[in-house]
Amino acid sequence: MAGLDPAVKLRRSFVYRTLQSLGADFQPWRDASVAMTLGGSVESETAAGRKLGLVDLSPLPRTGFKGTGTVEWLTEQGLRIGADSNMAYRQEDGSLAARLAPTEIFLIDSLAGEGRLVDRLNAAWSWGTEKPRRLVGYPTPRADSHCWFMLTGEHTPQMFTKICGIDLRPHKFQQGQIAQTSVARNGTIVIRDYLGALPAYHLLTDSASADYMWMCLTDAMQEFAGRAIGWSALKRLAGSS
Amino acid sequence: MSVGVNRLPAPAGGVIDRSRTIGFEFEGRHFTGYAGDTIASALAAHDEWLISRSFKYHRPRGVLTMAGQDANTLVQIGDEPNILADRRPIVEGMVVTGQNYVGSLEQDRQSWVELIGRFLPVGFYYKAFYKPKWAWKYWERYIRRTAGLGTVNLDAHHGYFDKEYVFADVAVIGGGPAGIAAALEAAKAGLEVVLVEDGARLGGSLGYARFDAEGVRGRQQLRVLAAEVEANARIRVLTEATCTGLFADNWMSVIRGNRLYKMRATSVVVATGSLEQPAVFKNNDLPGVMMGSAAQRLIHLYGVRPGRKAVVLAANSDGYGVALDLADAGVAVQAVVDLRAGEDSSAQARAVRLRQIPVYLGHGLRKTVAGPGKHHIIAAEIAAVEGEGRLSGAAATLECDLVCMSCGYSPTGQLLHHIGARFAYNRASHMFEPAVLPAHAFAAGSVNGTYDLEAVLGEGRHAGWAAAKDAGGQVGGEPARPVDKGAAGVTHPWPIFASDSGKDFVDFDEDLQVKDLVNGIADGYDHIELLKRYSTVGMGPSQGRHSAVAAVRITAKETGRDIATMSVTTQRPPYRPEKFGHLAGRVFEPERHTAMHHRHVELGGRMMLAGLWYRPAYYGKKEDRDKAIREEVIAVRNNVGLIDVSTLGGLDVRGPDAAEFLNRLYTFTYAKQPVGRSRYVLMTDQSGAIIDDGVACRFHDEHFYVTATTSGVDAVYRLMLFWNAQWRLDVDVANVTAAYAGVNLAGPKSREVLRKVCSDIDLSPEGFPYLAVRMGTVAGIPARLMRVGFVGELGYEIHVPASMGEALWDALMAAGKSEAIRPFGVEAQRVLRLEKGHIIVSQDTDGLTHPYEADMAWAIGKSKPYYMGGRSIDIQNRRGLTRKLVGFTLDDPNAPVPEECHLVVKGPEIVGRVTSAVISPSVGRVVGLAFVAPDQAEHGKTFDIKVAGGRIVQGRVVPIPFFDPENKRQEL
Repeated sequence: MAGLDPAVKLRRSFVYRTLQSLGADFQPWRDASVAMTLGGSVESETAAGRKLGLVDLSPLPRTGFKGTGTVEWLTEQGLRIGADSNMAYRQEDGSLAARLAPTEIFLIDSLAGEGRLVDRLNAAWSWGTEKPRRLVGYPTPRADSHCWFMLTGEHTPQMFTKICGIDLRPHKFQQGQIAQTSVARNGTIVIRDYLGALPAYHLLTDSASADYMWMCLTDAMQEFAGRAIGWSALKRLAGSS
Repeated sequence: MSVGVNRLPAPAGGVIDRSRTIGFEFEGRHFTGYAGDTIASALAAHDEWLISRSFKYHRPRGVLTMAGQDANTLVQIGDEPNILADRRPIVEGMVVTGQNYVGSLEQDRQSWVELIGRFLPVGFYYKAFYKPKWAWKYWERYIRRTAGLGTVNLDAHHGYFDKEYVFADVAVIGGGPAGIAAALEAAKAGLEVVLVEDGARLGGSLGYARFDAEGVRGRQQLRVLAAEVEANARIRVLTEATCTGLFADNWMSVIRGNRLYKMRATSVVVATGSLEQPAVFKNNDLPGVMMGSAAQRLIHLYGVRPGRKAVVLAANSDGYGVALDLADAGVAVQAVVDLRAGEDSSAQARAVRLRQIPVYLGHGLRKTVAGPGKHHIIAAEIAAVEGEGRLSGAAATLECDLVCMSCGYSPTGQLLHHIGARFAYNRASHMFEPAVLPAHAFAAGSVNGTYDLEAVLGEGRHAGWAAAKDAGGQVGGEPARPVDKGAAGVTHPWPIFASDSGKDFVDFDEDLQVKDLVNGIADGYDHIELLKRYSTVGMGPSQGRHSAVAAVRITAKETGRDIATMSVTTQRPPYRPEKFGHLAGRVFEPERHTAMHHRHVELGGRMMLAGLWYRPAYYGKKEDRDKAIREEVIAVRNNVGLIDVSTLGGLDVRGPDAAEFLNRLYTFTYAKQPVGRSRYVLMTDQSGAIIDDGVACRFHDEHFYVTATTSGVDAVYRLMLFWNAQWRLDVDVANVTAAYAGVNLAGPKSREVLRKVCSDIDLSPEGFPYLAVRMGTVAGIPARLMRVGFVGELGYEIHVPASMGEALWDALMAAGKSEAIRPFGVEAQRVLRLEKGHIIVSQDTDGLTHPYEADMAWAIGKSKPYYMGGRSIDIQNRRGLTRKLVGFTLDDPNAPVPEECHLVVKGPEIVGRVTSAVISPSVGRVVGLAFVAPDQAEHGKTFDIKVAGGRIVQGRVVPIPFFDPENKRQEL
C-alpha cells in the first residue's frame, strides 16, 4: 500500500479496507481518497480491465432527486433528461442522469469525478420561499445510500449471468439502459455505460452491503481471471475506447 | 500399460483420446483407460463386467444401457455415492468402489437374500415388522443399516457449486439428429439458440447406431451436422449438460458439472430421443445382458468389444444393425433371435443373412445361464414364440457371454411430461407418444415417435422452424413435415416372457419380477399409479425408464383393460438426480455492515445478527459476557457511552401533506408538532396490533425524519408507499436507512464530550432541550442530532452520512477519551431501556398486542378522526382487556431470574408471559416486563411465574420506570 491513509479523510469508501488489503494506492480526491491503483501498474490494470475489471467509485460524487417536480426542476437546471424511465441520459459534463422512475433521478458523476454538476445541483436545491411552495422534488442522499462499483471488460456480461437473472449482454441491454434488479440477492441498480464497444456497467447498491457485494463480485469474477483495478486504469479505458 | 483386452482399434471409439491414458482404481485394483472413457467403458475394456449389486437381492449387475439411464452401474467415488459408472469419465487417481454389498463386490455376503426371495413378496414391508411391537427396535436397526444406496460422509465439506442464468430465443434439448437439425433451422431465423446435449459430444444415435448395412451413414451425417453447428455463431452448445426440468414459461434447469444453469427460452424444442427397452426373461439382469444400443455405444464411442460370443434378441431392424456391428468388432454372433415370425426386409437384415449369421425367426429367450457366482452369463436358452409371452417347451442353448436386446423403444418424454404434454398409446407403433403439446413447446425425433433418419431430420427442421416462428424470428418457408415417421415395427408389443421360477426382472432398480406386479394387482392395486406405490415399480433411481411401459403392459393384461386407455405413471422433475449442492448453489446470504462495523470488531465487539445487520452485542471476551454488559451499563449511567444505532430505520417523509400522512399512519398526532422537536411514533396494523415504533423528527414544516426499528423498517417503508399510493397525499417517502450512520452518545458526561466536537449548535439544556432535534456539524461532519431518552440518560443521537460514519465514531471516541468513554452494545442497551420500562416492539409485544394492553394509551391521539388500526383498537378497548403489560420485580432476592417467555400462571391457567427480565445493575434487583391478567395488573399485586424446571416464583407489580422514576436524568 502506498499514498494516503484513507482514514485521514472524513468521507471513506465503504470498501476501503478491502482495497487496502489489495495494495491500493490512495490519493486524495475532494473530501475523500480514491484508490488509483490496486497493487499493479496502470498498464496491467488497464489490460485487466479490458477482460474483466472491478472498480470502486464510491468516493466519487453522486446525488439524486425525487418527487413531484423533479424532472422539471432538473431540466431548468440544464439537464437533458429523456422521457423514458430506466434509461440513463448523458449530460454535457459526462455525468449520467439515471431516470429510475418518472419522478426519480439518480445522478452519477462522469468518470473524471470532478462533481461540478452534482455540487451545483446540491447547492441549488432549497425549500424555496414561495407560498404555496413550488414543488421541485427532494434531494436524496445517493452518495451514502449506495456504493458505486463499475465493472468493465469483455467477460462482464458472462460474469453477470452467475449473479443476476437479467440478460445484460450488450446486444440485449443497450447502452444507457438501466436494470433495477437483484444482484446476488441484493437490490441493485445496473446501468450500462458508454465506453464504446467495451462492455461497462455501473453497479449501485446498498452501501451497507458493499463488503458483501464486493465479495460476491470478486468470487464470480475468479472464473474469468477478473480482478479489481484502480481508478487510473478505468479512466484510461474510458479515454482510449 | 494395457488399456484392456477388449480395446478395439480406431475408427472405433469416437470419444476417446488414445494419446492420453488415465489410471484409476476400482475395488482396490488398478486399471488404465483412455481419456474420454467412462468408468464402465474402461472396466469393460479390461473385461470387468461386474460393477455393482442390486438393491434387494444383491444380484450382480453390470452394463445395461451405457447411457447413464439405469441403476445397474451405480458406484461410489470417495465420498460421492450413486455415481453412474457408464456416464462419469475417468480421471487420474480416481478411486471407485461398487455399492450395496457386504464383504466384497465379488463375494457379497448378503446375496443370500435372494434365496429367501419367496418370503419377501411385493409389499412385504407393509405386512411385516409392526408386530410384535418389541421387535421393531431390532428391525429398525437392521433396516437402517441395509436401506439406501452408497455411503454418505456426514462430515463432508461444502463443495463449490454455483448457478448461471442462460438466455435463449430457442432452446433445443437433445443434440441428436433431430435436435441438431432443429437448432440449425432456428438459427437461420437470426435467433439465439442454445443446444443442450447430455453426452460428451453432439450426435446422439448418429455416433453409434447403424443406419445402413455398411455402417457409415450415421457418422457421415454427424460430421456434416457437427460442422454446421460449429460454424454457426448463433448456436451455443452445452455438452455434458442435462436438462433436469422443464417448467412453466420454458424455464429449464440444466446441470453441468457443479453448475446449475437456469435457462429461459421463448420457445423450446424437445429432442431427447428414446430409451431402448429391455426384454423380460429369466436372468435378464446379469452382467453380459445389455441393450443393443449399449453394445453399439461401447464399440463406436469407446472402442470396446462388448463380448466374445453374442446372441442378439431382436424385434426390429436395429437388432440386425447391432449384429453387424458386433461382427465387425470381432464378436462371434451366435444368432439373431427375432421375436417376429416374418423376415425383416431391411438392408441390415439382408446383410446379416448374407454374412450367414444364424437367424431364428419367431423365437425368444427363455433365459440366460449364469457362470460362477452369477458374475457373467455363459449361455442363452432360446425357444419358439407360441403366443403373447409364451415360448415352446423345446429349447436350444447357445453358448454366449453377451446378449443384446433390441426389442423396441419408449420416448424419453420426461421433460414433455413436466410441462403437461399429454401422451397417448399409438397402436401402430406400440408406444406412448406425445399427443398434445403445450404452447411454445415442440418435439422432434424419436421422443415424438419418429425413427426413420430422414424423417427425424425433417421433423427436426420443422420443429426448429416452428419454434423460431413462435419466438418471433424471421423464418423462411415452412419445411416439409415427414409423411412416414418410420415407427411401425420398431417396438414389439409384448417382449415379456415370464419365468415360472422368477428372476425375470421388470424393474432392475427395485428387483421387481413379473410375479411381483401380478401379485400386487391381485392384492387390489390394479391401477398403475397404485401399483407403482405398492410395488415401488418405477420408484428407483432410474425412475421407471425401463420398467414403466412393461408395468403398464402387465397391468393392462392382468386387469383386462385396453392399454390404449392407460398411461404411464406421472413423471416429475428432476429428470436426473440433483445434488443439494446444485440446488443451493453459491450461497448468497446478504449481510449488512454499519459504517463503524470494523471499529467494533477492532474493539473486541461480539457481533450478533439483527436481520441482515451485524451489531455488537457487547465488547469483550465471551466468557466475560455478563461482566462486560454490566460494566457497559454502569458506564452509561455514571459516565458516558457510545452505541452504534445505524441499523435503526430512517425514513425521510417530505411534502406539503407530510404531517397529515404521519397522522394517518401513526397513533399519535403530528400536525402541531413544532419544527425542531421529535415525537414518539407508534404504528399499529389494521387489526390494531403494534407493529413498530420510533420517533418523528420535524426538521421543516414539510420534512419529518422518521426512525423505525431495525427489523421493522422495510415493512414500515412498504406500508408507507402503499398508503401514499392509496391516499394520494402530496408526500414523498424515501428510505434512507443505509444513507445515515447513527450513534447514541449517552450518559451524564455526553454533553461535555459533544461540546468538544460540535461548535455550531447551542448544546445547553435550554438551547437543545430534551426531545429537541437540530441540524449542525459534529467534527466537521454534517449531522442530524436528536435529544432522545431510550436509555434514560442525557443523550444525543447523531446521524451522519454513512460514508462519514466511521470518522464520526473516531472523533467521538477521541473526544471522550478524557471522560473514559466506553462503547456499549445491544445487550447493555436492552438492560438500560428495561430499567426505564421502555418496550421493544416484537419482544415485549407480539402479533396481537394493542396499545391499551401495552399500557401505551398515552401514545394515542384520541381526538384524531382516523389512524391506521384506530377503529380496531377502539373496539378492543371497549371489549375490555384480557391481559396487560406491567413492570414487575421479585420479592425473593434468591429467586431465579425469569427468562423471556416464562409463563405467568394462575393455578392451572396460563394468563400471560414474561417478555423481558434482567438483574438491573442500576437498581440492584430483578426488573422485568410481563403480561398478566387484568386483575393482577395493579401496583403491588403479586402473580406467579413458572420458571425453568417448573418452579414457581412470585412477581410483584411495580410502577415503571424502575430507574429514575421522574425521568430527570434524560432531561438534564
